[in-house]
Amino acid sequence: MGGESRYMGLAYVMPYVVGLLIFTAFPFLYSFYLSFTDYSLMSAPTWVGLDNYEKLFTRDRTFDKSLKVTLIYVFSTVPLKLAFALFIAVILNYRLKMINFFRTAYYVPSILGGSIAIAVLWRYIFADTGLVNMFIGVFGLEPVNWFGDPTNALFTITLLRCWQFGSAMVIFLAALQSIDKSLYEAAWIDGANQWQTFRNITLPLITPVIFFNMIMQTVQAFQEFNGPYIITEGGPLKSTYLLPLYIYEKAFKNFDMGYASAIAWVLFTIIMVLTLIAFWSSKKWVYYAGDKRS
Amino acid sequence: MKRSTTALATVLALTALSANAADLRMSWWGGDSRHLATQEALKVCGEKYGHTIAPEFTGWSGHLEKVTTQLAGGTEADIMQINWPWLPLFSMDGSGFADLNDFAEIIDLSNWTEDQLAAATMNGHLNGLPLSTTGRVFMFNKATYDKAGVPVPATWDDVIAAAPVFKEKLGDDYYPLTMAYDASGVNTVLTVSLVAAQKTGKDLIDPETNTVAWTPEELVEAIEFYKMLVDKGVVRAWKDAAAAGNVKLHEDPKWADGHLAGSYEWDSTYFKYSDPMGEDQELVPVPLLKIDGAVTEAVYRKPSMVFSISKNSENPEAAAQIVNCMLTETDGIDAMGSARGLPASKAAAMRLQETGVIDPVLVAANKIIMDGEGPGVSPFNEHPEVRSAFKDALEFYAYGEISAQEAAEEIIVNVNEILEKY
Repeated sequence: MGGESRYMGLAYVMPYVVGLLIFTAFPFLYSFYLSFTDYSLMSAPTWVGLDNYEKLFTRDRTFDKSLKVTLIYVFSTVPLKLAFALFIAVILNYRLKMINFFRTAYYVPSILGGSIAIAVLWRYIFADTGLVNMFIGVFGLEPVNWFGDPTNALFTITLLRCWQFGSAMVIFLAALQSIDKSLYEAAWIDGANQWQTFRNITLPLITPVIFFNMIMQTVQAFQEFNGPYIITEGGPLKSTYLLPLYIYEKAFKNFDMGYASAIAWVLFTIIMVLTLIAFWSSKKWVYYAGDKRS
Repeated sequence: MKRSTTALATVLALTALSANAADLRMSWWGGDSRHLATQEALKVCGEKYGHTIAPEFTGWSGHLEKVTTQLAGGTEADIMQINWPWLPLFSMDGSGFADLNDFAEIIDLSNWTEDQLAAATMNGHLNGLPLSTTGRVFMFNKATYDKAGVPVPATWDDVIAAAPVFKEKLGDDYYPLTMAYDASGVNTVLTVSLVAAQKTGKDLIDPETNTVAWTPEELVEAIEFYKMLVDKGVVRAWKDAAAAGNVKLHEDPKWADGHLAGSYEWDSTYFKYSDPMGEDQELVPVPLLKIDGAVTEAVYRKPSMVFSISKNSENPEAAAQIVNCMLTETDGIDAMGSARGLPASKAAAMRLQETGVIDPVLVAANKIIMDGEGPGVSPFNEHPEVRSAFKDALEFYAYGEISAQEAAEEIIVNVNEILEKY
């Protein structure tokens, strides 16, 4: 490769590299430095060593509560959402009438899901006088306090996330359609029923996609902000106070950037460790085409 | 000859104007009516002085975060609408904004009282010009009270006595007063503060020591007063109020249709709460309710917001001209109208009352605030961390997680810890 074309290649990737350095790499590393400082935005950061982390792990009850709520949220949302997305994808994989309409219709909540408008809509649907309580009232049931009761509030936020199953569903659907039909034919000839073919053919063959969706959904769930912020603002009793809300409050309401950065790095470490565990465990349950183990 | 002289004069005037013409920016928060009025005022004043002012406006939510980020990066607008409690956040030593005393030849400071200017002065530097003086007043829905056959309350006893009549005549879901309606819980915090201040004659924060002025016992009494209001059905329990989610009072149908028949709000926000109400409803501001044994009315009065000029502005004189125009000159005042309540500027207040722009009900609500007496209110009352610490403890108490004693102690310890930083 001549010198000129080498520079040409560099010029092509430069916009991305510059963007990455300025908007991702620099803030990422700078926030690590800030996590060891006391920084209120209005004055220069002051080095405080491990003080922020020490306070976080030993004296901050809000952090303990927020971390607990976040873990419950992630570990309930991700499996529920993946199971539901796979269930719908399997149904939409059949040759049904108006199948393209249904595929689009089920995907729509994912396009709308992250928006503020949908969070507001969710608030109205589950409010004390909302649609859900009106519906259960038809069956003579007492209205449920969805947002005022700490136990129900997190469940309601979880449902909003699960409702946005479309993107995971589309990926599952693509994976299902790529499975060689002859495998099913062979299984049917051997007398396998629906569940057996799903359990022994479909599921193993889509494990790479399940793994991919699981990682993506876990990372996204840890970053959830809009839903709880708009619907309950973290309440009641901090029962929906996910860590991103705490980071936001510390950074932009209390202007404690150093402490907020420390929380962000703890969150990053948790996501990183869980991802590494997932990758490590994937050797035991994810099967790739052409892999000797499969 | 005469015509050419006029033309020459015009050209010279335009040249002089364009020589001093500045490109400015102004930022503020508010609703649609404020946005329209301010843009019109900027247009009028900009044309008058030959400056161009780019407007930057948002709603209330997120504006503090935006201004903070801009101030930290030195990219703030030349003219800023700043909430009064933010002054210590941005300019504890007075150096966060331009000192408007330096522009006394441009801005007619005689339009503000010494007290008003003192409230916007940080460490000897005049950091802003007060736009209005605001405070919390009780407002009641007269139509609902009429329907129940109960007079609009003048005392706490009246409100408490109204509760059983409301339940009996209107239904269990009718309340004479409302609190803790959104997640901020600000009404509950301010009501508990009001009761404690009436009992002790002291504001939450002692200005001498910059620590909480109330003892745990005094605060316990105030917290238990709130509990009594809940128990007697005067206000909804926190849990019941939270069932609507994080919704603002004025957006709630129960407020609009009169099920919730009173609230403790800023006087300047009267129309925000009266506008959503039905045609047959009437919102009435009343003098402050006092507890038995009150040593003061404890009116919560403060400058609502100020116009500040950036210390980094390249054209602070031009910015001062625009500020002066909007607040003290007839054309600017007319364009701005009552977009920020009853103006603190004497010239503006007089002009708007003469022209009938200010609604008499706003004047009446403001008079309650101005006539009220009580200890001075520290801006730290509205410090985000102080507010959060107060609200969190009350919420845990309201849900039965901690006792009134524990809540009081938690508030005092946490607020003092926050104040230590200043």
